[in-house]
Amino acid sequence: MRLLPRKVWLPALVAGLLTASSGGFDPAAAQRRATPPVSRVETKRGQQVPVTPPSKGSKPDETARPPDIPETVQADVSTRNVSVTSSFTGTEIVVFGTVDNSRQPGPESGYYDIVVVIEGTPSRLAVRKKARVGGIWLNTRNATFEGVPSYYAIWSTRPLDEIASEATMIGYEIGFDHVRMTPIGGTELAGSSSSLPASDTGEFRKALVRLKRGGGLYVKDEFGVAFIGRSLFRANISLPANVTVGPFDTRVYLFRNEKLLSQYNIRLNLEREGIERHVHDYAFHWPLIYGMSTVFLAMAAGLAAAFMSGKSMR
Amino acid sequence: MNLYLPIAEMSVSVVVMLGMGASVGFLSGLFGVGGGFLLTPLLIFAGIPTVVAVGTAPAQVVASSVSGALAQRRRGNVDLKLGWLLVAGGVVGSFVGVHLVAVLRRTGQFDAFVSLTYVTLLGVVGALMLIESVRTLRKSKAGQSSSLRRSGQHNWSHGLPFKMRFHRSKLYISALPPLMLGAFVGLLAAIMGVGGGFLIVPAMIYLLHVPTSVVVGTSQFQIIFVTAVTTVLNATNSHSVDIVLALLLMIGGVIGAEAGAAAGQRLRGEQLRFLLALLVLAVCLRVGWDLVSAPGEPFSLQNSEG
Repeated sequence: MRLLPRKVWLPALVAGLLTASSGGFDPAAAQRRATPPVSRVETKRGQQVPVTPPSKGSKPDETARPPDIPETVQADVSTRNVSVTSSFTGTEIVVFGTVDNSRQPGPESGYYDIVVVIEGTPSRLAVRKKARVGGIWLNTRNATFEGVPSYYAIWSTRPLDEIASEATMIGYEIGFDHVRMTPIGGTELAGSSSSLPASDTGEFRKALVRLKRGGGLYVKDEFGVAFIGRSLFRANISLPANVTVGPFDTRVYLFRNEKLLSQYNIRLNLEREGIERHVHDYAFHWPLIYGMSTVFLAMAAGLAAAFMSGKSMR
Repeated sequence: MNLYLPIAEMSVSVVVMLGMGASVGFLSGLFGVGGGFLLTPLLIFAGIPTVVAVGTAPAQVVASSVSGALAQRRRGNVDLKLGWLLVAGGVVGSFVGVHLVAVLRRTGQFDAFVSLTYVTLLGVVGALMLIESVRTLRKSKAGQSSSLRRSGQHNWSHGLPFKMRFHRSKLYISALPPLMLGAFVGLLAAIMGVGGGFLIVPAMIYLLHVPTSVVVGTSQFQIIFVTAVTTVLNATNSHSVDIVLALLLMIGGVIGAEAGAAAGQRLRGEQLRFLLALLVLAVCLRVGWDLVSAPGEPFSLQNSEG
C-alpha cells in the first residue's frame, strides 16, 4: 500500500516527459538512456525562477549597489536521469552551477551563499504515536500530512541561520522546520473519530522529520556547497538506496546579505530500468498474474528440490 | 553482492537473504512447519517494510512446503482426504483474513494486532508442547512406552455430525473439526504471513489425534494451498509481494529444508517437539518484550493511501 501513490505519479511522469519532448524526439528512448546527450528536452528541465522577495522591507544598512547587471545563478546536475536497476545501491549526484556577473573576489571570500534543496516525490504520510494502554504499547494517536517530500536534502555554503533570517527561510521552504507538508487531520485514539487538536500537529511534524532523518532520507550538509572559483560552485549529494523512485525537484538559491538574489530549478529523475521496471509494472498492472507467477515459481523451486533429493536418495 | 528489490524499494544483501531463507528452511524441514512465523519477524528485522514482509513470506513457505510434502508423499505420510478438508477450510479463512488486514491497517493497529496475536498463540502452543514433550521425554527415560493416542478415548468432537473415515490417519471423526481448524489457520496465515504449520501440527496431534508420522506431510500439503492463495491475494489486494525477494528466500529455503529433513530423521518425535516448543517460546518472548517494554521512539511513519 505504501507503493500506491506511485500509481498516481507514474502516468503523470510519462505525460510530463511527453510534453517536455518536442516533435520528432522519442521520449521512451530518452528515458532509457543512462546519460542522455544535451538536447532540447534537457534545456527545458532547468529554469530560472523570477525572484519575488517574501518581505518588502529593505535593510537600512544596505548601501545602494552601483547600477550593475544583477547576479543570477545557473545550475545543473551531473545525472538528470538516474536509472534504478537491480544493482542500484544509491547514487551520488553532483550539483554544479555558476553565478553570473559575480562580484566575488575569490572562492574563500564568502561573498555569496548558495543553498541547494533537493525534494523527492510528495506523498501522503501518517505519523503514529505509541502510548501505554493496559501495559501494552499501542499506536493511540496519529496525524496525517499531505504532500510530504519522500526525500529532502539541504546543502549550503554555511549554516542556514547565518545565511538568511528565519522569515526568509520559511518563505522559500528551506530547512527541516519549513519542509512543505499540509496537516490533513489526525485522531486522538486510532479507530475513534475524535480528532487531534491542531496545536498538537507540531509534535508529529517534528517526529516525522526526526524519523526521516534517522532513515537517511532527510539530510543536510551545512558546508556541503563549495565555491571553486569566483563564480563556479559544486555540491555532492548522495541519494540512498531506499529513496522513493520518481521525480526530484532541485532548487538552487543564491543569497547575498540575507537576501535572495536568484533561484534556479532543475528536474532530476529516478526511474526503474530493465527488470526492475518490468517487475514493478507487472505487479501493479496485472497483480493477479503476478501473484500466480510467484506461486508457480515457488512450486517449481519446491519440485526441483524434491526431484534432486529424490534422485540422491536412490 | 546487493540486489535492489522492486516492491520493497530497497537494496538487500543477496547472501543475507539466502542465509535467512536457508536457516528458516532448515528449521521448517526439521519440524515440518512452514517457517513463516520465523521468517516474517526476521525480514522486518532486516529492514523490509512490514507490509512487504508479511506479503512475501508465504511465497517462500509455498516452496519449502512443496518440497517437504513431496518427500513425505514418497513415504506415504500424506492423508489427502484430511488434507483437502483442511484446504477447504483454509481458503475460506484466507479470504476473511485478507479483508481483516485491510480493515486493521486503516485503524492503525495492524502492527500491534499482529504482535498480540503472535504472542498469545506462540505462548499457549509453546507452553503446551513443552509440558507434553518433557512429560513424554521423562516417560521414555523411565522406559515406559509412550503414545499420544489412548484407545477408546472419546471427547466432544465425537458427537459431531458428518463423520468420515480417514484411512491413512486411521481415524473415524466428524469433518467439522478439520474444516474449522483449516479456516482458523487460513485466517492466521493471511494476518500474520505464516502458513500456520506451527499451529496445525500440534492441533492435529493433540486435538484430532492424527498419528505423528502423518501429521507433518499432511500439514505441509495443506500449507501449500493456503499460502498459495494468500500470496495471490496479497498481490492483488495490497501489491505487497516482492517476487525478487521471494526468489532469494525460496532458493535458500528449499536447500535448507532438505538439510533440515535429513537432520530430522536422527531425532525422535518427542525430542523434535521439545525443540520446537523451545523455539516457539523464544520467538514469543522476543515479540512479547517489544510489546511491553517502553519503545525508544514512540513515533512511527506509515505511507497512507491517497
